[in-house]
Amino acid sequence: MKKRSPYRLIPYLILVFVCLYNLIPFVWMFSTSIKTDKEAYKIPPTLFPQQPTLESYNQIIIWTSFPRYFMNSTIISLGTASLSTFIGSLAGYGFSRFNFRGRTTLIGIILATQMLPGVLLVGPYFKMLVKIGLYNTYPGLILAFTSITLPFSTWMLKGFIDTVPEELDQAAKVDGCSTLGTYFRIILPVITPGMVATMIFAFLLAWGDLLWVLVLTSGESMATVTLGLSRLVTQFRIIWPQLMAGSVIATLPPLILYMLLQNYLVKGLTAGAVKV
Amino acid sequence: MNPSRSRLRTFRIFARPFSHQFQGFLFVLPCILLLVLVLGFPVATAVVNSFAPIWSEVKKFTLENYIKLLNDKLFWNSLKVTFIFVISTVLLHLGVGFIVALALNAEIKAKRFFRLIAILPWTVPDVICGLIWRFMYNPTLGIINAILMSAGVTTRYIEWLASPKLVLPSIIFADVWRGYPFVMIILLAGLQAIPREQYEAARVDGATTLQELIYITIPNLMRVILIALALDTIWQFRRFGLIYNMTLGGPGHTSEILSLYVYKHYFKYFNFEYASGMAVVMAVIMLIISYPYIRMIARKA
Repeated sequence: MKKRSPYRLIPYLILVFVCLYNLIPFVWMFSTSIKTDKEAYKIPPTLFPQQPTLESYNQIIIWTSFPRYFMNSTIISLGTASLSTFIGSLAGYGFSRFNFRGRTTLIGIILATQMLPGVLLVGPYFKMLVKIGLYNTYPGLILAFTSITLPFSTWMLKGFIDTVPEELDQAAKVDGCSTLGTYFRIILPVITPGMVATMIFAFLLAWGDLLWVLVLTSGESMATVTLGLSRLVTQFRIIWPQLMAGSVIATLPPLILYMLLQNYLVKGLTAGAVKV
Repeated sequence: MNPSRSRLRTFRIFARPFSHQFQGFLFVLPCILLLVLVLGFPVATAVVNSFAPIWSEVKKFTLENYIKLLNDKLFWNSLKVTFIFVISTVLLHLGVGFIVALALNAEIKAKRFFRLIAILPWTVPDVICGLIWRFMYNPTLGIINAILMSAGVTTRYIEWLASPKLVLPSIIFADVWRGYPFVMIILLAGLQAIPREQYEAARVDGATTLQELIYITIPNLMRVILIALALDTIWQFRRFGLIYNMTLGGPGHTSEILSLYVYKHYFKYFNFEYASGMAVVMAVIMLIISYPYIRMIARKA
């Protein structure tokens, strides 16, 4: 027999509030994006549009450089995610399986680099990129974002590799596999879920950044969606439906990634944190 | 790949006792080199610059930036704003995250659905979060005043982001929307890792739900809570895009967090050296705050 106490409804009550709090901004963003300009400026505002239209999407896609921004964001985020996950997995393997001199210190330093505020780095980094001719280029930006994501990627992947039993490595070694071979043939396939989680995480970080693109790009050619939208909002006259249409488009890739790979991501984020 | 492999082999022959260790170091090397390149140089440059005189071609050692900092009222203001922002958002993320995690960990139907909704805001970039909430807070066009007015809570248009008193709470409320889900995920995983037997034993002894919470759940969760707190504090300290898009630090300087103030000195007034000094101070504060966390984690590793 199950207990039938009124307390068992409390979780539902909390979760209904959570749904309201979490969803209203999404509803508001989407509903504004399909309003006519006229309706968006009506007082008092309407929650649901009376004449839904895709005009704002049309305008932002055809009349602004938004498609270009979108492509830039995608290239930069994918580049960052791949680079930092690959290098991070190498380092994670090194830290997990070998006990070389200075290991603990290096781990400490890598963790500490996460504490460096972006505003400390962007200025000198900007000058450095100008000097070597990488200012306003993809590689310059990808390297910059990698500096933010790499410490975390390394740490997360080390956590994943720690969970792989070391007998697997040893069995491979007995079969004549080199260390590098073990890494590629044994470790990488096993930690694929971790790699996916780390890649999404790096992708989300790079996708959402504003500070670095603000400083390291100029003009339209390298601007990302976040920068493009931030420029729209600082203009004298803000066209909210267009801005929200852009926000919807900018939110879609992270949202879809998350929906598809939800379990990977949750496992990946928590594996490290809960275990330590 | 080939040269490193042959180098490995050579090393194995000539220095057998060190070879295994050295291989490990080689795996870590690309990461270290990249970090030195993209972090080491900028940090070194920033530190050197912070000891150079402002707007001067002559490079000499001086403390004038740091002395100026001590008398800069706006710097102290931004430090205060930052601390208010970080402390309140981190505590609220933890509180809300904990309650929602408990609700999701209870025996409920449609668990997956609720979990999906609960994490959703976290996928929105903070820059976009700032834009959405800025429009929601809009006095005449925004949804928040509209809801409050139709509910009869207020009859006048509240200036959420233009009022020096309301601006920080408003920003914090928007940030909690985006920030608590991450803490919630970590706490939820921690909750699920608590052995069931402990609860069953407590139930046999007739413990109440509240007693279970205090004597089983919270002690078991302590480590996870500390880690979530540390990670969240680090991230909140660096927050930039959210406030940049919501208020740009205004009205006046009432919501000007440190990262925004440094940014303005750098790229608006071009006081490179002064801004470097400020950023160095900011980095030192962050390192001091997170030192126990780093030590704990690096030791365990």
